[in-house]
Amino acid sequence: MTTELSVFAARVRDHIGFWSDEFFLGDATNDPAYRKHMDIEFGGLAVMLFTLQYKNNPAYQRLCHVRGIKPSHVNHWTEIPCVPTAAFKELELTCLHPEDRTHVFHSSGTTEQRPSRHFHNADSLALYEASLWPWLCENLRLRISDFRLLSLTPLAEQTPHSSLVHMFDYVRRKMAESDNAFVGRVAEDGSWYLDFNAALSVLRNGSSRKPLLVLGTAFSYVHLLDELEKQNIRLMLPANSRVLETGGYKGRSRTMPKAELHQLITERLGVSAESIICEYGMSELSSQAYEVSDGREVSGVRYQVSGEELHVSGKTEVATRRFRFPPWARARVISPENGREVGEGEVGLLQVFDLANVFSVQAIQTEDLARRCGDGFELIGRASAAEARGCSLMPGN
Amino acid sequence: MNLPNYFLADLPPEATLTPALLAEAAMTLRRNRETYLLERSTEQIVRVLVEVAENWMQPENKFRRLAEEYGPQVLGFSAATLRRGLDNFFKQLTRENFRAWLKQELGDERRLDELVASDAEVESGRAAIASGPEFLVHIAAGNIPNAALMSIVTGFLTRSAQFVKCARGTTLLPRLFAHSIYEIDPKLAACLEIAEWRGGDEHLEHVLFAAADWVTATGSNETLYAIRQRLPARAKFLGYGHRVSFGFIANEVLTSFNAKKVVARAADDVVAWDQLGCLSPHVFYVQSGGAIAPDQFAEHLAAELVQREAIEPRGRVPAEVAATIASRRAIYEMRAAHSSETRIWQSAETTAWTVVCEADPQFPQSCLHRFIHIRPVADLEEVLRNADNVRGYVSTVGLAVPDHRVAEFAVRLARWGATRVCPLGQMQEPPLLWRHDGRPALADLITWTDFES
Repeated sequence: MTTELSVFAARVRDHIGFWSDEFFLGDATNDPAYRKHMDIEFGGLAVMLFTLQYKNNPAYQRLCHVRGIKPSHVNHWTEIPCVPTAAFKELELTCLHPEDRTHVFHSSGTTEQRPSRHFHNADSLALYEASLWPWLCENLRLRISDFRLLSLTPLAEQTPHSSLVHMFDYVRRKMAESDNAFVGRVAEDGSWYLDFNAALSVLRNGSSRKPLLVLGTAFSYVHLLDELEKQNIRLMLPANSRVLETGGYKGRSRTMPKAELHQLITERLGVSAESIICEYGMSELSSQAYEVSDGREVSGVRYQVSGEELHVSGKTEVATRRFRFPPWARARVISPENGREVGEGEVGLLQVFDLANVFSVQAIQTEDLARRCGDGFELIGRASAAEARGCSLMPGN
Repeated sequence: MNLPNYFLADLPPEATLTPALLAEAAMTLRRNRETYLLERSTEQIVRVLVEVAENWMQPENKFRRLAEEYGPQVLGFSAATLRRGLDNFFKQLTRENFRAWLKQELGDERRLDELVASDAEVESGRAAIASGPEFLVHIAAGNIPNAALMSIVTGFLTRSAQFVKCARGTTLLPRLFAHSIYEIDPKLAACLEIAEWRGGDEHLEHVLFAAADWVTATGSNETLYAIRQRLPARAKFLGYGHRVSFGFIANEVLTSFNAKKVVARAADDVVAWDQLGCLSPHVFYVQSGGAIAPDQFAEHLAAELVQREAIEPRGRVPAEVAATIASRRAIYEMRAAHSSETRIWQSAETTAWTVVCEADPQFPQSCLHRFIHIRPVADLEEVLRNADNVRGYVSTVGLAVPDHRVAEFAVRLARWGATRVCPLGQMQEPPLLWRHDGRPALADLITWTDFES
């Protein structure tokens, strides 16, 4: 049954390969002619994939059935029904037979009683990797071979259910780095902590002036920065180093507003704000969005990002930090009131359509609030949809 | 809105409050209290409050009209919801109710005016007079406006200089109420101050708390704890933490003849103040075995909410609230697609109302804004077992049960820890004499002076 999905997955890999070719990737999103072809191809593949997933994913078919939507009704990718991320906690949203599920990624967070489950096999992991790699490289804006690696997470073998660590481990393998690049550890209760001395030794590696690529979650950076502050250490990473920061806190450290976190990273690691890259990803997806400051104006619209304005060489230029998915995944911001796409600059719920999710569900309804910004989005916050069953928290807590 | 600058809340938005300004306001309030309020009789104060309330009940009253005009935009309630909520509040402020309240709380309506002896005091050769706080600070939560208005009324009866600190964006009704008092009796209104700032501003609150001899506060338990930590030792504190409420509907009342009425009452409780008060239900527990099954009840309630939306629409909600409602709906829809144990009804094209019926009896916490849960249960005992996680936090239980069983249920609920039991349909309309969260709101502020002869 999944053979046709494997064939289709190969097609998506081709699609990714084509659009992530160096020649296209830089220009594709800006040139209207390329963009048109990209949209046509994306739409065709998405509608085809819907037909396959409807057929092969019983839990998804049931949801579509209740909403009265069949493949024959769907003419455009925006008509494909989305499943809420919470559905991955309660249902087996996969096209893979139980015996074919070789891997499962869980949503992060130590407090969740019932994590999301995204099942994978060799084909789907290969697609996951084929999707993550070119878009990460594109957003680093430097050849990956120019970097040394530091990951603040534990090793993949210690965290087999983390899609994020799987991704970082793939980066490690591609860079031919050793396990020593991973300086996170797993405590007995399953929580992650930082081996600070190991981190410091990679950060300080004085002999090499190669730029460093640092990967970590927001909370792992808080741990690192707290320790650097405690020991009164300020580092100056080599020029062109990149700091990639992802995800929330989930009770694993004190929380910190993003602007403050980035400022502390700048202060303690000696990297410029433009070298800090934010990643938006989740275990339910196979592609990631990145937020980089590229200083470009987007279609003449001025975006106010968290009230910050950049002052560049005398003239005011609004920071255009926005998250963007690769061409093979699309974000849509919809009105929570009526489900229709919001206008430019308006806030709503984020939907993601990810072609790389061939073996599960491509259309995901997140609980994240986002502002529509040109071809990307600005992350605003998260709807509090949790606690839909039971009441472990008191109101106001 | 063109109101004269009588209160700090009337200042234009660009004006910033400073500690010096608050210190001066506090001094003025104290002075005004001594000059204008301390020697007034209860009868005089009640007369003003009753007249103000009667004015508010007039559809043409200018303050009421301002509330209806600006309320929907500023407070996020529809004009119809505001009208109903304001009527339910102001109709309570009658001379008879004030008398009954004073008698209930202090044993005698003259207690605040003179030395009075109850029968027991007469027998022991004693008498007593009641005094209120000199400077009373209210930290008002922003969810619904009535609580702040009630605090102000209480503070006038206790002859206190009052400073009402509102949550951001919620001064509208306290401010209009204050102006309506000013119109009748400027001297009385001169003993009241209204202002807003983001809670936790230590510079402003330090000055205010230093002046206060009593502070009342409504808010989350964390907020109350934080305030309490910052009060000077001599200041007394009265905190009203967050509460949840629910309804219980017995199968005996769910006859096909009666069901329509019960459903209408349930809808009243969901619609009132858009379900945002602590007395609003998160869930209706419906006893199985009636002529109308719990999921049928849910379906009827959904149909009723369609009608209500047409005449008393829910207010506009910010994107994050709509997103929460949409996200929760998505979860229940997903469950409903896979199990007959979950059913969901919802307004089309908006998040205006949602009814979810699920078999799991565990107390579900609603995201409110007219999002109501229905849970089937075998009996009240099953409810109490499953509401154990909110035990001690439950304010009101709305009952639809046969008359002859009300007392039995009420006692059971009291032993369990609920502080108010009322008929379904009146959950968000507590009477003036209501003991707030189980405490006498007026008597709690009183200091007694005993006189022994």
